[in-house]
Amino acid sequence: MAIPSKLNTSMQTKVPPRRWVFHLTGRTRRQLLRGALVAVIFIAFNGLLAALFGVTILNYTITGLSVSSIVIVAAIGLSLLYGIRGFANFAHGDIMALGAYVALSVNLSGISLIWGAIVSFVVLAVVGILFEIIIFSRLEGRGPVAPIVASVGLALIIQNGIRAVATTRIWIYPVAALPEIQIVPGLGLDPIRHILTPAIGLLFVISVHILLTYTNLGKAMRATADNLELAKATGIDTKRVTYATWAVSCSFASTAGVLLGLASFLRPEMGLNILLLIFAAVIVGGIGSPWGAVLGGLTIGLSQEMSVPVFVWLGQPDVIGLVNSSAYKVAIPFVILIFVLIIRPWGIAGRPPAFARRVFFVERITQALGRGTTTADPAEGNDGG
Amino acid sequence: MAFDPLFLINVGFYISFAIVFALLAIGFNLQWGYTGLFNAGIAGFFLIGAYTAAIAITAPSPPATGYPGHLGGYQLPIAVGALLAMVLAGSAAALIALPTLRLRADYLAIATLAFAEVVRTIAINLEPITAGTIGIVGIPRLLEFSGPNKPYLTTATIVGVGAAIILVLLVALHFIVESPWGRVLRGVRDDEEATMAVGKNAFWYKLQVFAIGGALMGLAGWFSVMALPYLEPAGSFAPAVTFSIWVMVIVGGAGNLKGSIVGAFVVYGLEWGSVQLKDLAPPELKDTIPYIRLMVVGVLLIVLIIYRPDGILREKKRVLR
Repeated sequence: MAIPSKLNTSMQTKVPPRRWVFHLTGRTRRQLLRGALVAVIFIAFNGLLAALFGVTILNYTITGLSVSSIVIVAAIGLSLLYGIRGFANFAHGDIMALGAYVALSVNLSGISLIWGAIVSFVVLAVVGILFEIIIFSRLEGRGPVAPIVASVGLALIIQNGIRAVATTRIWIYPVAALPEIQIVPGLGLDPIRHILTPAIGLLFVISVHILLTYTNLGKAMRATADNLELAKATGIDTKRVTYATWAVSCSFASTAGVLLGLASFLRPEMGLNILLLIFAAVIVGGIGSPWGAVLGGLTIGLSQEMSVPVFVWLGQPDVIGLVNSSAYKVAIPFVILIFVLIIRPWGIAGRPPAFARRVFFVERITQALGRGTTTADPAEGNDGG
Repeated sequence: MAFDPLFLINVGFYISFAIVFALLAIGFNLQWGYTGLFNAGIAGFFLIGAYTAAIAITAPSPPATGYPGHLGGYQLPIAVGALLAMVLAGSAAALIALPTLRLRADYLAIATLAFAEVVRTIAINLEPITAGTIGIVGIPRLLEFSGPNKPYLTTATIVGVGAAIILVLLVALHFIVESPWGRVLRGVRDDEEATMAVGKNAFWYKLQVFAIGGALMGLAGWFSVMALPYLEPAGSFAPAVTFSIWVMVIVGGAGNLKGSIVGAFVVYGLEWGSVQLKDLAPPELKDTIPYIRLMVVGVLLIVLIIYRPDGILREKKRVLR
């Protein structure tokens, strides 16, 4: 384990009472209530859509959930790394693509794709630790820009390495297409894309929750993300925590890459194209917060896919007649991202910094409304969700 | 090897595109090298400048089968096209900077990268305005020549005009960055809190610089359609363009404008040279050369940022007098 004995002994002197796994604090209860409320509104909204436009429109919601699960798995990894290493890893998308191609190469040698995904999970964990040792440990304490530049360099190397080795052709995982499960006529669930992908997404979310809440490593990770110096002073081996975070981040990315490959096909640019979605999810949710990544992923994925029918409607000749109108769906996450950066730069679930500076026109508006400028109320920031 | 007259035109092409990249690098250096604003969406502002200029100055497209046509037909003077390109790209930069400049540098990087990709998607798909993937053709040249020497004269004009622009910019920016205004910029870069403490509105300065840098990128877009009277959105404005500019500025040195020009000529020279020497490469490697080149760019980025973060030709150390 990554916790040295010093911390263990200090904890033994004052053992906290063992909490039941599903112990609910007042804050958790409030959040659950709020989450349930949002879920009910969402389901009601979908019910309304189905009543107005027929059941087939729910296909977009289902696709949105599938895209969201992929984004969530990747965003959790990116968010953890962002929280602990303090920089935006621009290579995350290409690490996803690398994971997908590793799984493909295992699969092409005649082993099933499940083993391919597992091998890729392990290989990418090792590769992630190597990235930290070879490149990013040299850039510690140099601010956020230097590691971003290095990660872009890494992204270029990975992406063009894939192009050089696997060529630019499109690869498809040789998985037999299973028949769709019909719920009602016109609304079917694809066993891989619509059932397996969200299930794996849920599994990863639960496992990262257990990791962060109930294991010493996870607690050390949270402590390091919260305050590096304080964590070091407490005796946490932050080096090992960093390696563990890289391993988790890259292995999660590899699984997200395999899921992305299963959803459509593999090509060298697949990672770069989804990177912006993942960044949007991480920022909307709140950097460093895995639950925020879940919320952000759902927001981004659902809003992008559910905007498609609107764009299709705009594409009709009697409305505006936009050509290729559904291609504009990529602008939706960007709009949400900018909106969140204006209103709430620390994200839905993130904690505002102690002396949060509001973006100036928000400040002006709140002043005009007579709320004053005391934005750094931590109680206000904690109850997002 | 006999002297190939086409080679001269090829070299002229290299110089004119190196000037395009030098303009982009100067814009980025103003933003990052002088003020510390990290822009990951250079390609987006470049694209806005190129399309604005092309749409403003091109004649209406003749009806042809399969060509979707594009917005335009204004046939404005070329200088007006340059001005419009700068104004539009600059205001786009100011708009995108507005919500992100008060946050940490990585928010600006993410927001600008996302902006560039969205703009590129729109340029690819918005056929009534940009003619989609086919692109805009028939953009007028700076001066129209006739006769057998036409290609040489055209190339020479572009290189001459480009060199003049670079020279004027260098002189103008030299005075600007040495002025009190430029001193505030370096103050914002080195210690924003201290700069605000002496009464300078750091946000306002950052916004100005980001807009000016964006306008220079717009000018680069205008110059690129002068150098090559054709526009296609998919490849020319890919994120890889942004990353190459980073390499150029880091090679040339952050906070060193002449260095950026040298960096642009050297790094684009590597790219152009690898294309020229393509025929010498063994046939089985031929197709992978562009990828290997981009991998080299990646390695350069990592190695330079680790060992020479201030660039090879770094900014002069300033001492208090």
